[in-house]
Amino acid sequence: MAAILLVVILQFVTFSTVWAAIAVPALTGRINDNAAMISAPARVEMEAKLKQFEAAESNQIVILTVPSLQGDPIEDFSIRVAEAWKIGQKGSDNGVLLIVSRDDHKVRIEVGYGLEGKLTDLTAGRIVREEIVPAFKAGQFDEGFSRGVSAIIAATHGEYKAKPKADRNGEKPSMSLLVIIFAVIYLIYQFFRRFFWGGFGGGFFGGGGSSSNDDNFSGGGGGFGGGGSSGDW
Amino acid sequence: MKSTLARVIAFFLFFSTLSGCGYNSIQQNEEAVNHSWGDLESQLQRRADLVPNLVATVKGAANFEKETLTAVIEARSKATSIQLKPEMLSDPAAMAKFREAQGNLSSTLSRLLVTVERYPELKANQNFRDLQNQLEGTENRISVARQRYNAAVETFNFSIRQFPNSMTNSLLLKLKAKEYFKADEAAKAVPGVKF
Repeated sequence: MAAILLVVILQFVTFSTVWAAIAVPALTGRINDNAAMISAPARVEMEAKLKQFEAAESNQIVILTVPSLQGDPIEDFSIRVAEAWKIGQKGSDNGVLLIVSRDDHKVRIEVGYGLEGKLTDLTAGRIVREEIVPAFKAGQFDEGFSRGVSAIIAATHGEYKAKPKADRNGEKPSMSLLVIIFAVIYLIYQFFRRFFWGGFGGGFFGGGGSSSNDDNFSGGGGGFGGGGSSGDW
Repeated sequence: MKSTLARVIAFFLFFSTLSGCGYNSIQQNEEAVNHSWGDLESQLQRRADLVPNLVATVKGAANFEKETLTAVIEARSKATSIQLKPEMLSDPAAMAKFREAQGNLSSTLSRLLVTVERYPELKANQNFRDLQNQLEGTENRISVARQRYNAAVETFNFSIRQFPNSMTNSLLLKLKAKEYFKADEAAKAVPGVKF
């Protein structure tokens, strides 16, 4: 009994230190309106716009609203979300996260590495100050999100082109054989490694990608480095 | 036939023991530290590059106090004069010096931004606001790069202490633990910016 209690206490202690900061919510689609700030028609409209933009240029723009940051700076929370969701295509790093905390009245645009050239801190700052904040101040959230999204699309337009579908599927067939050979070698190697160091080094493979219910929307593996700009209303 | 099989097994044994003892992973972790240090340095450089513009803009404001500006200029030249090569990342004294110079630049910059609050015409200046915006973005990038560097150092330091890697390191590689880049307390106060 005492042992169980101890375990529970220990768990609580470790969890409370690790999870002192607000947890990263699940990625459920292009618009993650966890604070219920966006009306249904506006949501449908923006979703279609974002989907079309990704289809044409491969840039991924994702919106997240949260009720509160629970005392975290929005920059810290935002980079954690961006790192977890990996918005943008791998290699291009062309993701943008528009993040809003309802009760803190804070907004931030987090920009992936690949779009920092077009959507500079300065441009992001102007979008926050001139497009989003005035509408939010007036209580028109739909308007603010919509104008913000349009401005982000306008700013990042033309940086990347989406790969044609066929190209993406039939990517270098000669590579697949090589991959299989390596996989076999790797498995044998892992087997020996386990054999000698039984238990060391975890599972065979790392975790897979995340998927979601919005036409299987998921981040494409884009990287972020803290670019972007924040503001409040 | 038998010898071929034996050779194949020997081949895999060789590689598995080599990786099993952590030789490769230690190297890889050290490269990760060097890489993230490079990122951090380039962000710090980016901040230093913004300073002359900022100073020039602020100077234009009517009788802006000279000492604040001089302090920023001096802190910048000191911060840019101290470079830290990847080989020196294990040297606590060199790291402390580097950190102090960068921390000094951070604190003089935030003092400058606080002082600006008293100059409404400067605060309204579009050029200054843009610079402030860029500086803010750079400070954020620095803090992200610093966190990533520290995480890489943690992984590396652990990997050379963990068994059996610790033996590989003490016998073969003889690498020293890397220094963390801690933010000093003065520098922690990111320039507060209100629009």
